[in-house]
Amino acid sequence: MRRAILLALLLGLASLCRAEAAGPLSFERGSWATLRAAHAGQPTVVHFWGLTCGPCLVELPHWGKLLAERPDLRLVLIAADPLPQEPERVAATLAQAGLGGSESFSFTDRFYERLRYEIDPAWAGELPRTVMIDADGKITVLPGVADLAQVRAWLDAQAKPRL
Amino acid sequence: MRKLLICLAALLAGGTAAAQHQHGKPGAGAPEPFTAAPAFGPDGTLWLVRPTVDRIVVTHSRDLGKTFSQPVAVTPEPMNLDWGPDARARIAVDPKGGLVVTFAIFQDKRFNGRAFSARSSDNGASFTRPQPITADTTSQRFETVAIDPAGRVFAAWLDKRNVAPAVAAGRAYPGAALAYAWSDDGAAFGKTSIALDNTCECCRLGIAFAGPGRPVIAFRNIFDGSIRDHAVVAFKDTATPGPLRRVSVDDWKIEACPHQGPSLAIAPDGSEHVAWFTDGAARKGLFYARADSADAAFGPPRALSSPDRQPARPYLLADGQALHLVWKEFDGTRTQVRWQVSHDSGRTWSATRTVADTDDASDHPLLVAHAGHAYLSWLTKTQGYRLIPLEDQP
Repeated sequence: MRRAILLALLLGLASLCRAEAAGPLSFERGSWATLRAAHAGQPTVVHFWGLTCGPCLVELPHWGKLLAERPDLRLVLIAADPLPQEPERVAATLAQAGLGGSESFSFTDRFYERLRYEIDPAWAGELPRTVMIDADGKITVLPGVADLAQVRAWLDAQAKPRL
Repeated sequence: MRKLLICLAALLAGGTAAAQHQHGKPGAGAPEPFTAAPAFGPDGTLWLVRPTVDRIVVTHSRDLGKTFSQPVAVTPEPMNLDWGPDARARIAVDPKGGLVVTFAIFQDKRFNGRAFSARSSDNGASFTRPQPITADTTSQRFETVAIDPAGRVFAAWLDKRNVAPAVAAGRAYPGAALAYAWSDDGAAFGKTSIALDNTCECCRLGIAFAGPGRPVIAFRNIFDGSIRDHAVVAFKDTATPGPLRRVSVDDWKIEACPHQGPSLAIAPDGSEHVAWFTDGAARKGLFYARADSADAAFGPPRALSSPDRQPARPYLLADGQALHLVWKEFDGTRTQVRWQVSHDSGRTWSATRTVADTDDASDHPLLVAHAGHAYLSWLTKTQGYRLIPLEDQP
């Protein structure tokens, strides 16, 4: 049991280091389930954005600021462009927004409908989109540009001791 | 330093994951378009235009898509092709068998495009050097070429020329303008005109003809309040776009572009048929509506599928008295092309049938007809290009 925890910790660190070291991880078939499992039991905010999405690029730096302000924000960024984008550009855009150290993924599988279906069958692919997952796995979706006050309130609610 | 050491140790422990990251990098270089657009020649030859990484090629088949000729390049040198999810190179064949190809490139990283056309008068053996379809260099995308019943070449596209002047005058200018031009042969186009301003900027157009010199265009418009719903404009003559007619009030308020444009067909009785995707407050998913004529309002939208099946990329074709409608759906494992046909001008439709499916990435399903037979034209990663006959009555 202790070993399992240690291994999980190490793997968690590894993903952190990788995110710092290089560009986005590849988001492929099955990645969503892996991501969910890796963050299970931990309130996590997943923000979907894209290089080809104008409003997303305007919004990103606000996420950078929120991350700096809230150490309790476990943020995962997923570049969900309909066509896979150059990883260097994804990484550079995140770094510029103050999100260079965050766990980040980029859609690399051209079977776009399958990736979206795995995340949410009813998601038509519009960006930006924010998915907040609480410790119990309950999902709150914020379609479009997120109201960060709502995200802060959600984070506050996660910090409260649960009954 | 301590943190770095922990990182190193962790990296060693997680070797597999790290290695996976190495080769799992998003594809090197720019995205590559994955499209194939068909057109039948008067003699039954199937012409196909396809982009590669950096050029446009044309092939043809004389046996309904079973075998294809060697590709002929339309672009003499490598170009930075437009890979927008709703953009595609297109081909049209005039009544004399002349070929017209249109395509766009990206001029910069801000998705400003430049649209070109080229013509072949020697049965596809060679193409004229691609010429910009307009002199203005601001940005053109989603160029769509079609031959009217008199054999004249019509092109429409989304044009950004009116953005900067509006902004300079202190006015907001959402989206782009719907621009058009005519050509006698497709090698070069005449004067560009703007039909209207403030259309959505990255959705494909649907074009059909009500008669010679009378194109009808379906497009995603930007209505007040950034509502991106569909509209149709029917030309009264070659230079007079009629009023904007809203196809449906879906109330899709979105500040971004959905990359999903409509499809349009006109039946022999003059009725207009539109299919489109929306994620609006009023309705979500894929829909179809018809109007009795170019002066009539559109009837109530009919849902084509359920939104949790990701219905998308509809395509309509009028072939004689038959109206064909296809779209894509995803069932969790496979993408299917679903098909309905109507024999009464779109008032009633057949049950939905799956005509093709695939287990990986695919282009939009397209329809093409020759000699009273309609076909699904579909490029998939697994099966390659397929031309699939639509048996008339399901």
